[in-house]
Amino acid sequence: MQPLRLALAQIAPRLGDLEANLARHHDLLAEAREAGAGLVVFPELGLTGYQLQDLAGEVSMRLDDPRLARLAAATAPGMSAVVSFVEESADHRLFIAAALMEDGDLRHVHRKVFLPTYGLFDERRFFAPGDAIRATPSRLGVGVGLAVCEDFWHVSTPQLLALDGAQILINVSSSPGRDLALSSEAGLGTATSWRSLMRTYAQLTTSFVVFVNRVGVDESLSFWGGSEVIGPAGATLFSAPMFDEGMYFVDVDLADVRRERITLPLLRDERPELVAREWRRLIAERAGLAADSTAEPGAVPGFDVAVEQ
Amino acid sequence: MSEPAETPGADPAPAEPMFELPAELAIDTGIARRLIAEFIRGQLRQAGFERAVLGLSGGIDSALVAYLVAEAIGADKLLCVMMPYKTSSPASQGDAEAVVAALGCSVELVEITAMVDGYFGDGGVDGAVDGAVGAMGAGGADAMAASALRRGNFMARMRMATLYDRSVSWRGLVVGTGNKTESLIGYTTLFGDSACAFNPIGDLYKSQVRQLSAAMGVPEAVIRKAPSADLWPGQTDETEAGFSYPVLDRLLFWRIDRRRSVDEVVALGFDRALVERVDRMVAGAEFKRQVPPIAKLGPRTAGVDYLYPRRRPGSSRA
Repeated sequence: MQPLRLALAQIAPRLGDLEANLARHHDLLAEAREAGAGLVVFPELGLTGYQLQDLAGEVSMRLDDPRLARLAAATAPGMSAVVSFVEESADHRLFIAAALMEDGDLRHVHRKVFLPTYGLFDERRFFAPGDAIRATPSRLGVGVGLAVCEDFWHVSTPQLLALDGAQILINVSSSPGRDLALSSEAGLGTATSWRSLMRTYAQLTTSFVVFVNRVGVDESLSFWGGSEVIGPAGATLFSAPMFDEGMYFVDVDLADVRRERITLPLLRDERPELVAREWRRLIAERAGLAADSTAEPGAVPGFDVAVEQ
Repeated sequence: MSEPAETPGADPAPAEPMFELPAELAIDTGIARRLIAEFIRGQLRQAGFERAVLGLSGGIDSALVAYLVAEAIGADKLLCVMMPYKTSSPASQGDAEAVVAALGCSVELVEITAMVDGYFGDGGVDGAVDGAVGAMGAGGADAMAASALRRGNFMARMRMATLYDRSVSWRGLVVGTGNKTESLIGYTTLFGDSACAFNPIGDLYKSQVRQLSAAMGVPEAVIRKAPSADLWPGQTDETEAGFSYPVLDRLLFWRIDRRRSVDEVVALGFDRALVERVDRMVAGAEFKRQVPPIAKLGPRTAGVDYLYPRRRPGSSRA
């Protein structure tokens, strides 16, 4: 298998300025092609900026939008790109979307499933959640799994993508930096948490993990960058600097996936039917359709242990 | 819990630490500088401005912001305005001048004495308007306190008015210099020192302001001196409020950032009466931290269901 050159576009999108961001994507795609990249990854909402609020409905695009078609055309021939934007469905729901474009076509769209609406986040107010977590075939010769930011804070996302055939898990993010505690490993609580997650997922799914996080500022929020590539054994192959805008190139050997999966056959040993059975039981119990079979007598619903009075 | 305070690492072993830094409040100053520099540049770019203006008092907060702005955009794009009243400490102005000299930024001196005395009279106590304020003018010690409060607030608002005027002539945004501690307890003047286009240090406690100041090389005299609103000679924040910043910062950190209940922070060793008093101050200052409510009448109302970023395509003046 040929080495694959990845291009991580750690950019600072301009908030609400679709045309400027489209132009920047075209420029970077050309630059990546020049540098021999096979896959270019842009961050979450790289075409629109993150803190959109009511602008969301003003920068949304249908999947047949000619501007997306022109961007996809820039991947022909022989390139792949992951871009992210606000997708408007035919019934006018707005999604945070990440699309895989290859050889001139829009191949696959992932709609962000988990929309954080707590703390500094307010996504569910403005966006509809996606309903699918699916891997997609790719011209790269392996399956690709797309996820957007918060999707990776739910362990089911990387697991489903890997079991569905993804050997490269791509997470595009707009992660705002916060918690400058000196006690945290990376000097930034957010970065420390993300790094733990990505290493863990790469190791547990024996897959490449590509994380592209934006930089720049929207309102109060500063995005910390720190894009990374983690190999299927959990080793960090590349870490981009925090806060610096730039496009970073990383060469990876996709055959590492095979070597790691032969050595450490974790995916082979997964038990999806067991997981599905237990999930079905939990769903029935949580819906009150069956008694909680693991609870002590006297426990209230949703709490396994009887509360002492 | 009560870990010994860390000695800040920026300076080579001073005989006495410049300040007390509670361990749980220590931040990564390298990351903070970088993040704040990006924030400052981002705020200016999105608004279509290249320059900034701030009020430099000689205290640590405005000194730190001057250093941060100079680092982010260059000292040549920063105007510091010194705005003393006739009773302001001459030492404060000396400290402010030391900051300006160290940074090489532009500076202006605007005395606010005439503005303040023009309103209150120059007797040092209430002017003719006092009767119009009703209860505020009630006699005895309260009257003196109210008077100092009114005068202090008025001075802060004259400084705000000056800065916003200089914002036009300098073609720069007004940068806020209030810290998280004073914002939380409400030790600020509404539409006075809290007024700004953006604030780079409003999420840093006073102890963290000191830590970052030491890391950035703010003059030691500025870091060491007792914080003061300098509204009357000898005033200091800590004697006026009755608690020390390290204690207050730690209490606020555990109550607010770490969501500990009153009983939980008392169990951590804080005095219950202090906890309850600070809780009241924080609740009582909520209005100072928020945009005033607009009566909801129409289909779309700013801040309620008309929600746009402050800066978006078309909003830049450039």
